[in-house]
Formats: sequence, structure tokens, C-alpha cells
Amino acid sequence: MEQVNKGARILVVDDEPQIRKLLKVNLQAHQFEMIEAVSGEEAIYQISREHPDLVLLDLGLPDQSGMDVLHLVREWSSIPIIVLTAKERDADKIAALEGGADDYVTKPFSMGELVARIRVALRHAGGAVQEAVLNFGRLRLDFAQRSVELAGERVKLTPTEYDLLKALASHAGKVLTQRYLLQEVWGGHHYESDSHYLRIYIGHLRKKLEEDPTRPKLIMTEPGIGYRFTLQDEV
Amino acid sequence: MEVNPGYSSWAAWKRYTGVTAVIILLTILLRLIDSSPSIDLVNIALIYLFPVLFSAVYWGMGPALWAAAFGVLAFDFFYVPPFLSFTVTDLRYLISFAVFIAVAVLTARLSEQLRQQVRLAREREASTASLYDISRQLTAITDIKELLSNVASQIAMDLNTQTVLYVQSEQRESLEIVVHAPVDSTWGSTESELVIANWVYQNRKRAGKGSTLLPEAVGMYLPLSIDDQIYGVLGVHLGRGISSEDQRMIEALAGIAASAIARTKLAEEAKLAHLTAESERLRTAILDSVSHELRTPLAAIIGSASGLLEGDALFTSEERKELLVTIREGALRMNRLVSNLLGMVRLESGMLGLRREWCDIQDILGVVLAQVKEDQLQRKIHVEIDPDTPFIQGDEILIEQVLVNVLSNSIKYSPDGSEIRLQVQCFPSKLSIIISDQGIGIIAAESEQIFDKFYRSHRAQHLPGTGLGLAICKGIIEAHEGTITAEPNRPQGTIIRIELPLKELEEGKIEREEEM
Repeated sequence: MEQVNKGARILVVDDEPQIRKLLKVNLQAHQFEMIEAVSGEEAIYQISREHPDLVLLDLGLPDQSGMDVLHLVREWSSIPIIVLTAKERDADKIAALEGGADDYVTKPFSMGELVARIRVALRHAGGAVQEAVLNFGRLRLDFAQRSVELAGERVKLTPTEYDLLKALASHAGKVLTQRYLLQEVWGGHHYESDSHYLRIYIGHLRKKLEEDPTRPKLIMTEPGIGYRFTLQDEV
Repeated sequence: MEVNPGYSSWAAWKRYTGVTAVIILLTILLRLIDSSPSIDLVNIALIYLFPVLFSAVYWGMGPALWAAAFGVLAFDFFYVPPFLSFTVTDLRYLISFAVFIAVAVLTARLSEQLRQQVRLAREREASTASLYDISRQLTAITDIKELLSNVASQIAMDLNTQTVLYVQSEQRESLEIVVHAPVDSTWGSTESELVIANWVYQNRKRAGKGSTLLPEAVGMYLPLSIDDQIYGVLGVHLGRGISSEDQRMIEALAGIAASAIARTKLAEEAKLAHLTAESERLRTAILDSVSHELRTPLAAIIGSASGLLEGDALFTSEERKELLVTIREGALRMNRLVSNLLGMVRLESGMLGLRREWCDIQDILGVVLAQVKEDQLQRKIHVEIDPDTPFIQGDEILIEQVLVNVLSNSIKYSPDGSEIRLQVQCFPSKLSIIISDQGIGIIAAESEQIFDKFYRSHRAQHLPGTGLGLAICKGIIEAHEGTITAEPNRPQGTIIRIELPLKELEEGKIEREEEM
């Protein structure tokens, strides 16, 4: 995984000097190269000129809302974008994720969390070849065989449960919105109000895969947003 | 009491005919049983007095006089010699006739007065009943505007006229009209009427019809005042004069209106005074709590950071790490405070948008347990939940916040190593979440207060906190139409019980699938 990170250039778009400084020290310590932008305008200029590998975008920019920057950039670039938001703004998080952001980090955040998000986003953006077999501790997924094993024992899943698990596990570490999962698993004919089907199936999966469904280790809930499958190396 | 004139003359005609018929019948009867007059003339005369008394009592003066006159004629014709003639030879009979008429007049007058009194009593009873009715209505009304419009329309309806109510305008310069009755009437809004009303308001004396000032005006203007306070002026349009009974009625209604306004005003003032005191108390509490809760972690952060900066070489790596942990803890504590303050503000300003969705309480519990994991140290959190617990309708983020707050409290106020139980129980129409700890506990008397903003139990003074967490929980749970209560745990600790309504979830669309 290290070769993905080595020298990756990250554009930090934030108007607060303190945050930029904090990120600079920490990102450089993690072997990233950092460039900065303090406004939406500058961010767009930097992205088109410097071609960074990833953007950390604060949604509360003074001149232009971060959301506008996101929409503008997404018109011509698929560069991974992680948005930084305040805790209370769940609607913004969903809007950003559905507007093309790859992930989000809530302020105040811990460095470990941020670096993990950056790594996941870089890896998925790197067009990592979808492996046929994924291992998450005791859990083993074989997409070629459509088989799921837990501690060597085959787990019986319904087709919907399998599709859901596949969608989650193949984006391990990345947040997936409820709407994305509904679209992915149930196809076009779903409604916003159908989100409880998703919850029911998540419940089924946890019952079959987790040791203690009230303390899940594989399928983590992002309240109000969606779900995030745990990273391979975290299990 | 107004009576249809057509009906009146018809009734009078009937009475006179009746009296005449009775006297004729009486005469015929007397002639039949006593053809050669042997009964003493005095007795005959007394018999003729009977219809007079009867009509006087029941029909009034006119028919009584007619009965007396007609009776005298009949008596004279048939019984006073010379018989069958109206001629009277003995002039003493004329005295009898005069007595006859006098009796008729006297009894008729007496009974007339009696009936008058009865009628008055009935009218008074009716108006008392109406006053009672409206005063009862008015005491039930708390809105001044509605109350005034009720009074105005009641008077307008009873007297079939127009009324208007003036009260002092907001700018406190002049009177303005608040109510017209009937609604479409405009009487009372011209300059001259306003001038009279203003005079009444300033002098607190009545004017217009029925008073000494401007008795020729078409309206009557009454001050609505109680004790030394004046609240407004009532104007009643009285085109054609007014009975004293109606006048009394209007005065009584004006009195009721004035006292009702006074009552509402006093209630408002009392409420305002209470609110001011309450907000004063809250302001002090906020200042105390926020300044303490902000300053303490700030002191820790600044102290540790400057210590590290200035004397880096003095510390062992162990100590350095300890200071860094202190900084992080202080910052996290401030973060919690800010979240709670923001949560409270959102709750109080009604900005709390409730996103109602079907939530899996087990899923929410998973998030909550992960959130408190760092704080719980060696405390064991024992969770009891049926895996088939039905979904609840609510905002998962807010419910999560409630559970995090309650569970954090349990952790904060109970010793390390103790056990915290979290039970989820299902009932047909509600879901109970019971969190019980073995901490410092509460006394029963505090079980309501601990949900008040900024309230902190005396037993908890040694631990940090703002007294906002449970107030937020209560706000959120009540927005979900649920309840949250606290009680002491046995043998020690606290039990927090959250109840949320359960609704039927149609799972129809979920088709059963075969497992692979």
C-alpha cells in the first residue's frame, strides 16, 4: 500500500491558517506532499494547474461554498475529493457525497482517521484491480465462487444479502450512502422511504457475520449517512 | 316585552266578548233558578261582582271596567225596581253602582301592578341569566381580542344595534378601535365619536345618551374601568332611546369586560415577571456553567501546551505524553460542551428538524457503544436486546445523541469497574430503553429536576458538567412523542427509562429469498 501513498500530492482547501498548518505538519510526517488553497477560486486554479492526487475540501469557504467547488471540479475531473465538515451538518455531508465527494471527515477529527480516509480514497481512485478474493480477518469473500466463509465455514446468504455484502466489501474503508447502496443492490426502482429495507438487510448480515451484532466490527454505521465496511488491515 | 299589535287587539276583543258572555250567561242562569226574584238584592249584586274581579285579576283594567259597567246595567235592568227598565227610582242604588265601579277599578289596578312586578322579575331573571352566561364564557377566554369581540357582539345582538370598543393604541397616544359589532358596521369610527370616546377615556366618566354630558348624542359611551385602572371605552349606538333595564345590562357587561381585561392583563404581567426571573436565573446559570466549563479545559490545554513549549527538555517522554493526553482530553471536553450548547440552541429555537425514518435500535446501539468505548475504561456495559426488536420511527442521529448522553452520564457518575445495564424491552405500542448504573445515584426528589436546563445535583458538583445533557435528551425524546424519566436504582445508582412509541411497519415488500 505504501507505494500508493509515496509522494502523493494533496491539495488542502481551507481558509483557516491553523488548520492548514496542522494538516501540513501531519501530512508531511505521513510522507504526503501538500499544496494549499485558501479560497474556492484558488482551489480550482490549483487543481487545473498542479494536478494534485487528492483534494481535502473544507465545505465552509468564505468566497464560494465548498459545495460549488465540488460541483465545478466534478464537471471535468474525477480526482478524489474528501470534504471536511462540521459535525452538525449531516445534510451537507449527504449532499457532498451525492455530489461526487469520495468521503468526508468531521471536524474536529483525529489525524489517524484523516490519514486512513486519504489512503482509502487514493487506493480506490488508483483504479485498484478488483481482487477476486477478499479477506477480512475471519471473513473470506470469493467473488468468483460467490461464496462467503466465516472462520472456514460457508455462510448462507440470500442473493440480496450477498449483493449488499459485495457492494460494501468491495469499497472497504469508504463510506457508502444509503441511496448508493439502495441503487446498487435494488436497482433503479427504489424510493427514499425504502431505506428501512437496507437497515433490515444490514441487520441480517450482522446477525450472520458479526460476533456481537450490537458491537459490529465489519459493517460500521455512519449515522444519518450510510455504512462503511471496515478496512482489511483493521480487523 | 314587545307584542304584535294585531294579536293584541284580537286578544282584547276576545276578552271583552268573554266578559260580556259571562255576564249574559250569569243573568240567564240567575233568571232560570230564581224567576221571581227572591234572593236578596245584595247577594245578587255580589254575584255580579264576580266577573268584575275575575277580569280584573286576569285581563286587566279595561275588561274589568267593562264587566262592572255591563254588570251594573244588567243588575239595574233585571233586579233594580222598576224591573226590566234602566230607570232607577231609588237613588241609593246609584251609590251601590259607584261602589261597584270603584271595586272594579281598585282590584284591576292592584292586579295590574302585581302582573307588572311578575313581568319585571322575569325580565330581570332573563338578563341575569344572560349576564351569568356571558361572564362564564368570558372567564374561559384568555385572548383579550376574542373576549372584547364577544362582549361587543353580545350587546349588539341583545339590543339589535351597533357597538364599538376602543382601547389605547400601542403608541399610547390615542384610542383605537379594536372591535366593531356587527363586524361590518362602521359606527364609532368618525372623528366626533372618537373625540367623545377619548374624553370618556381621559375623564373616566360616561358620556352620551343617558348621561349628563352630551345626552343628545346617538350613542352611549361607558368607560371600561376597574379600581383606578381604565382599559378602554365601550360605545353603544342607541338611536331611539333605551330602557333602564337595557342600560343596566350594558353597564353590567361593561363591568365584566373591564374585569376580564384586567384579569388577562394581570395574568400577562405575572407571566412576564416570571419569565424575566426565569431568564435571569438561566442567564446566571449559563454564565456560571459555561465560563467554568470552558475555562477549566482551557486552563489544562494552555498549561500543558506552554509547559511543553517552554520546558521541553525537562520532561521524560512519559511525562510529555501525559501532557499531550491532557491537552486532547481538555479539547474533547470543550468539544462536548460546544456540541451540547449548539444542541440546546437548536432545540430551543425550533431548528431541530426531525428526520423521521425507520431506525434499527440495535444499529443505533452499536454506534453508541462505539462512541462511549474510550470513556468507559473498565466499566462493563451489559446489553440486553432481542435480535428481533422492531424498528422505531425517529431520527437516528438524535436518538443516538440521547443514548450517548445518558450512557456517558452513567459512565461519568459510576465507579470504574462497575456494571452498567442497558435493556431494550418491547411492548405492543412502545419500546423501553432502560439504562441502570451503580453510580452516585439520585434522590427521588430530584428525578424531575435533573432534566432541567443547567440543573446539577449537589452530589455531582465534584464532577465536570453543564447540566445540559439530560435537558437535551428530554427535548429530543419529547419531540419523538416519547418520555424519559429517572429513578433511584437499588441498592444504589440511577435508572434512566426512555420510552418511545412503536408503530406498525409494513414489511410487505420484502420478499422471502432462498439462501445460497
